Amino acid sequence: MVPVLLDLITTAAILYIVSSGLLLVFGVMKLINFAHGGLMTLGGYAAVIATAMGLNPWIGIPLAAIFGGIVGLGMERVVVRSLYNRPLDAILATWGLSIIIGQIITLVFDRGVHFAEPPIRGVISVLGEPYSTYRLILTALALLLGLGLTAALRGTSLGLSTRAVIMNEDLARGLGINSGLVRSITFTLGSGLAAVAGALITPLSSVDPNMGVAWLISAFMLVLVSGSSLFSLAVASVVLGGAQVVVSNYFGSVLGGMTIAVLAAVILRIRPQGFSYE
Amino acid sequence: MSNANVNELGSSSLQRPQVRPLTRMMIVASIALIGVGAAPFFMDAYSVNVLVRSMIYAAIALSVDILWGYLGVLTFGQSAFFAVGAYATALVFTYGGFSAEYAFAALLIGIAVAVALAGLVAFLAFWHGASALYASVITLVLPIIVTQLLFSGGTYTGSSSGLTGFDTIPLSSEAWFWAVGVWLVVLTTVAWMYTRSDAGRLLTAIRENEQRCKYLGLNTSNIKAVIFLICAAIGAIAGWMYANYTMVVAPEIAGFTFGTELLIWVALGGRGTLFGPVIGTIIIDYASAHLQGDFPFVWKLAIGIVFVSVIVALPRGILPLVSNAANWLRGRIGIAQPQQYSQLQLRQASRSGRNIIGVESRGPALVVSGVEKRFGSLEVLSGIDFEATYGEIVSLVGPNGAGKTTLMTCIADGSKRSGGTISIAGHDIAHRPPEECVRLGVGRKFQMANVFDSLTVGECLQIARARLDPLSKWQKSGVCNLPPSAMHVVRATGLHSDLNVPAQVLSHGKKQALELAMVLALEPKVVLLDEPTAGLTKAERTLIGTILTELARTEQLCILLVEHDLDFVREISSRVIVLHQGRIVLNGSVDEVVNSELVKSVYAGSGH
Repeated sequence: MVPVLLDLITTAAILYIVSSGLLLVFGVMKLINFAHGGLMTLGGYAAVIATAMGLNPWIGIPLAAIFGGIVGLGMERVVVRSLYNRPLDAILATWGLSIIIGQIITLVFDRGVHFAEPPIRGVISVLGEPYSTYRLILTALALLLGLGLTAALRGTSLGLSTRAVIMNEDLARGLGINSGLVRSITFTLGSGLAAVAGALITPLSSVDPNMGVAWLISAFMLVLVSGSSLFSLAVASVVLGGAQVVVSNYFGSVLGGMTIAVLAAVILRIRPQGFSYE
Repeated sequence: MSNANVNELGSSSLQRPQVRPLTRMMIVASIALIGVGAAPFFMDAYSVNVLVRSMIYAAIALSVDILWGYLGVLTFGQSAFFAVGAYATALVFTYGGFSAEYAFAALLIGIAVAVALAGLVAFLAFWHGASALYASVITLVLPIIVTQLLFSGGTYTGSSSGLTGFDTIPLSSEAWFWAVGVWLVVLTTVAWMYTRSDAGRLLTAIRENEQRCKYLGLNTSNIKAVIFLICAAIGAIAGWMYANYTMVVAPEIAGFTFGTELLIWVALGGRGTLFGPVIGTIIIDYASAHLQGDFPFVWKLAIGIVFVSVIVALPRGILPLVSNAANWLRGRIGIAQPQQYSQLQLRQASRSGRNIIGVESRGPALVVSGVEKRFGSLEVLSGIDFEATYGEIVSLVGPNGAGKTTLMTCIADGSKRSGGTISIAGHDIAHRPPEECVRLGVGRKFQMANVFDSLTVGECLQIARARLDPLSKWQKSGVCNLPPSAMHVVRATGLHSDLNVPAQVLSHGKKQALELAMVLALEPKVVLLDEPTAGLTKAERTLIGTILTELARTEQLCILLVEHDLDFVREISSRVIVLHQGRIVLNGSVDEVVNSELVKSVYAGSGH
């Protein structure tokens, strides 16, 4: 029972880390960034580069943030900016960007699976059961991330501007908030978070040019049922991630693999606003 | 009716264009068929092989184009139906062996399963209130589920390596080329005829403005579902051909990645053009087969870059660019043909029996009793009680935020109110959606002119009549039957000379008039008009006022009007209802209201 419970908590935490960047972009810009998966892949390769250069594996994470941030800023400037009024086209264009990222990675590296040194190995004992230290660290990181993002949104003037843009962009612009800048920063931050998530999951998942795609779908579903609230996302991660762990454990990984997608679709059918309470 | 003896309008006397589009399409299709027949004799075996597959892909791309380009449903899941058709075939042949009967049975099974699956998807994705994004999400979940099911089939479905080594229809590559080529040409021709027919224009209308379609009495969810089912069947047939031809199926063909690849082909070719996606798919897949061997990653990278550029800079795809260039060239060398509009005739509709007010149903046209509307704890309407009879023009007045438009919405959409009952011509609207309220006799005109911008005026009117006069599914009928009331509006406002003009280039006043004519084309009993004169000139306002009073008298319509212009209200109303803070504060004759101290204080902002 204890391992299942720990799996449940840590899976929810991982899903939260993976989805928060996408949620930020969806909340502020009202568009779905399908390059999220590609950016995660990029982050995974940042960890691979850190390993190849013989650096401390933890260095891979800020490296991923830098890669993701720069690429995200470029994508927002060149492509995403012109698609604000065409949300469905934005999905397609960002998917195209994801293809471009994947192909460039394939050209630089190759199609094969790569390996990144995990920052921490081994297990510690939780209530008498040995459990992966790294997954527990990820859980702590997810908590820090959630608290940090919430604090940034509540406590800084940029956060205030961002919340204003989330609530009513036209009004915010009328009040002199530079919503274009808010969008730019949000997309950069969201992309950076995606890449960091990609680097963080390298010890759990193989690193190859398509590693982001499977995560993208889960993150997309979680964001849709969460609306634009970081708290709803936490609830959604626990409920849907938990369901995935339970289903995988008792009914096999094949059914587990579609749990999040199916549950999210059903939840949205019954309650279009999902887990958000507005 | 002054124009009762005029039963035809429009320029029927104009000569027809020299080559009719239908004839031209038949010529194009014949040339394509000859091309399909001759091609294998001029190509190497490898190209023939590749092109068969490319043409199968082109057929599914065509179905994606109908869904996305015409209907506006961005689908990621068409690959799933393709896989259903392919796997049905592979499973039947693997476990039953090949025979002609089994091949036929496999086709039917594939179509049946795909259509059943599509029905489930449509039930989830298309319902009153579902957003476009939600429909896309459902189509995204579909390939994930189908892929997982194929994996979970273990050795039975071949899991991740798929099925291979089964016997299929023994045809040579050339024979497959001819079979698939003919099918593709026929499919494209039929799709072309359908999409440019009157019924096909309805798909565009739904894409542009689904809400307006619902308020025209059309069950858009059903229409979308039917088209989705047909496209699923096309996908399954293509899958059947694919399995028969390639003799191998793998779970990748069901996947989300293949589903998005279809979208890429359609986007590059030109969504909403049919020919663009077909030609685009064939060119891209054929080129991929030749280039992928030498430059696999660079080729895919190039496709990605071109795709992103096209989405950003050329949302209509590459084909429109080519045809524009061709037109420009034709103009330069002097063989330009004048832009041809198909001509449309307006005819007087013979009264359709369904909406005539029978003598027996002479009660009030509209009864509103105890209607409430709350948003959470905020009460927008409370205790609204009133009646209106046929031939009456009732004006709803009150300051901004009094709940006038909300009340209109509650009458036109049964699911909106929080309490109370509303009946139209003696029928309780219960919780019916807008399209069923239209059936009971409600016609609603919105505050902002709400028409189909990319359709012509004539097409807008045809769509408005679609509920009563079924649209032709295979041609442009060139005829639109309008009831006298709508005909009167069209004539009086001069719209009859704009029938072939896209609605988006109309002046604001004419747009308002067009929407009014569309609402009247529904042959309603109760007409809800939300500020029909907002932004009109004095002359236009007077004209609309005259038309409305005439309609109420001659057609015995019950007209409910929201208006801010009290002079206009005074001129045309038979009765005035004053709303303030969600309650009726006065319900009386024009004089009573105009002289009321209460109304003055309400408008001055002080009163309770």
